[in-house]
Amino acid sequence: MSSKSTFALSPVAIVVLVFTLLACFIVYLKVTYLHMPLKPGEESDVWMIEARIDFTGRNGPARVNFTLPQETPGFTRLDENFVSRGFGLTFEEGPEYREAVWTLRRSQGEQALFYRAQIFPEAQSFSRPPEEVPTSDFPDVPDYPEPLASAVDDVLSRARSESADIFTFASRLLAILADPSDENVKVIHDARAEDEWVSLVTEIFAGARIPSRAVYGISLNNEFIDRPMITWLEVNNGERWRGFDPDTGATGYPENFYPWVSGVREVVDTDGVRNLNVSFSATRTSVVQEELAQQTESSLNTGLLNFTLYSLPIPMQEVYKVLLMVPLGALVIAFMRVVVGVPTFGTFTPILIALAFRETQLGWGITLFMMILSAGFLVRIALANLHLLLVPRLASMLIVVIGLMTIMSLLSARLGFTQGLSIALFPMVILTMTIERMSIVWEERGGVETIKETLGSLLVAISGYYVMNNPYLMHLMFNFPELLLIVLSVCLLFGTYTGYRISEVLRFKDLARGKP
Amino acid sequence: MLGTWLRLRKKGVLGLNARNHRYIMQYNQRHSYPLVDDKLKTKTLAIAAGIAVPKLYGAVSTPHDLSRIPEILGKHQEFVIKPAHGSGGEGVLVIDGMRRDLFVKTDGRALALEEIKYHASNILSGIYSLGGIPDKAMIEYRVRCDPALDVISYRGVPDIRVLVFRGVPAMAMIRLPTRNSDGKANLHQGAVGVGIDMATGVTIEGVWQNRAVHEHPDFGVPLAGLQIPQWNYLLELGARCYELTGLGYMGVDIVLDRNQGPLILEINARPGLAIQIANHSGLQERLDKIEALADIPADPKDRVALTLALFGHLSQS
Repeated sequence: MSSKSTFALSPVAIVVLVFTLLACFIVYLKVTYLHMPLKPGEESDVWMIEARIDFTGRNGPARVNFTLPQETPGFTRLDENFVSRGFGLTFEEGPEYREAVWTLRRSQGEQALFYRAQIFPEAQSFSRPPEEVPTSDFPDVPDYPEPLASAVDDVLSRARSESADIFTFASRLLAILADPSDENVKVIHDARAEDEWVSLVTEIFAGARIPSRAVYGISLNNEFIDRPMITWLEVNNGERWRGFDPDTGATGYPENFYPWVSGVREVVDTDGVRNLNVSFSATRTSVVQEELAQQTESSLNTGLLNFTLYSLPIPMQEVYKVLLMVPLGALVIAFMRVVVGVPTFGTFTPILIALAFRETQLGWGITLFMMILSAGFLVRIALANLHLLLVPRLASMLIVVIGLMTIMSLLSARLGFTQGLSIALFPMVILTMTIERMSIVWEERGGVETIKETLGSLLVAISGYYVMNNPYLMHLMFNFPELLLIVLSVCLLFGTYTGYRISEVLRFKDLARGKP
Repeated sequence: MLGTWLRLRKKGVLGLNARNHRYIMQYNQRHSYPLVDDKLKTKTLAIAAGIAVPKLYGAVSTPHDLSRIPEILGKHQEFVIKPAHGSGGEGVLVIDGMRRDLFVKTDGRALALEEIKYHASNILSGIYSLGGIPDKAMIEYRVRCDPALDVISYRGVPDIRVLVFRGVPAMAMIRLPTRNSDGKANLHQGAVGVGIDMATGVTIEGVWQNRAVHEHPDFGVPLAGLQIPQWNYLLELGARCYELTGLGYMGVDIVLDRNQGPLILEINARPGLAIQIANHSGLQERLDKIEALADIPADPKDRVALTLALFGHLSQS
């Protein structure tokens, strides 16, 4: 053997490198962007949020406009549904909003409407992406009546003198407004007692020509039942929106805040109803990540998962779950033949047997396989005496094998061994050819060789079974079919392996001992 | 295990993977395979090139031709029926003589004509050919063992395997049939392999069922020190097969007939590696030497001279 490396660096090495990198890259994308789990059975938290709108009908036409949550970065809406009794449901969509409109010709008594959404929070804390507000869209200074006007002026100028930029100004202003002992604040509070505090605050911000808006949302921190929405304030510095607690001036958002709607829109707008009440509940559920990734893909439509096998019909998916394991089985064969040097009947026979073992369970599979093989082998020896031509003899063996399978199934059914029924899953043509090959090896090379090849085939089939039935590998192959590239690469590498087979080391061991 | 592995590497023992990758795939053109896989073709080619082979009595290629077998046999009482695509001596039926109208095998069992025909029809259906493709049955001259080798072969005829690389004989062994091998000269079937000194044609020591042996398992005679007759001519015959087939890496099987001398029996495009065990020596060093040669002499005689010069000393143990 020359001193060259065992794997020659060649075009194969380049192909292997490219394939491996490509596969790793796709896997990386899927794991980071679609949260495709690398391990089976990994779970993530998904929130089921329910909005409940209660009201009493006025014996006339009723209309309820309900603002639905917008697409928000960091959150994926997996699913949503609407429940109402007898109401017609339509949707209105604009560039900045999305509404459900429930209508009823004649509503009476107490009514309830439900909206449910499944939300998957990807990020831990919420923040807005940069969004510039052009100067032309800055609010105009409102015309306040006295004494409100001077109170606002005073508050604004105080905040301005105590701050450096827009965000510190906002924070300072809100802190000043939070002090109830302040005379000016009292004036402001009294002037608009009937209004919502946040809308008043946005008006005051307008006095400084600073864009601000109310944000309504909920906090996905703990599960809760029947709570109103959290009202928050967002201020824009010309470049981005930032959240502020309207009551204290603290910067940021509530913990695990999920913004439902922002801007001037109201969450609910109604006609012809009274005693309106909107409340929210949230429950947390765990969802297996594979499903999540699939739902994420269907809602995000990234195209990354265009090759997902989840898009196939379920029966087809089952087929591919098995089919994608076959390359691994082939890899086992390649390894066993080229690196270990196990003798087997046929090249891919052991893998087909291993596939049958998947269905029959290993212990039963081996038992049934050996039973069929030995019974068929005896029949084959008897047939040899009849001097039949090859193809009719093979056909006869096929018939005998199927007959044996039928008898075994019937017997085991009679005796109550349900596992015995699964014998029908063995590939009968493969069994027939295995028996044929076995008897030829028997005649030409003797019993030792036959037993060697039978055990070799069984060993490879069992190894193949363990590889192809590994839940971790099954998960990987089904969710990341691009791993086929890596399997192919390993196969290519086996193809360039010029080292010894382990069986050869044993065969040539006398040669290693030095001169006799 | 690992120690053995490393020692084997150091000794230059060739493994199957390396043989396939470095030699068979590099030096054997795919289109040359049919020439050697079909023994009928090899024989025709050899005859055309004037290379000595056992005489062909006839070939059967369709079931209809089976009835022609008596006609082909004619007056021949000794003959061999074998598949044109067989390998490792499988499906070879050797008839030693006649007893009334029965054909007697080498092991003394007598067969009726019907059984001969059945054997031929099995050959036709492809049972002995690789991949089970339909095959042809050849009926040919039954080689009689050279008396020099008679003492060490059980019933069958020993054959000499010469490994020829780029037309240069690199290693050789003689395969002796034993009781175990049913008179067949196939190592897998229990024949003894005996290494041969390339310079002199004298046997070295044997291997039987992958173990070193010094005496014939059936007769107890020593295996070493036996002179192969017509050694240089035999090597030349092997070397000439390079021009015949174009295969860069092949095993040439030669038998020694008592009347006709060395005859080419068959050529193998994927020769096995047991020859290394029989010679107690790795192939790698010899192959590397031949591979290092810039050009190979065109005359087979010169190539044999090259062999004697290159490997004469290597076989001495």
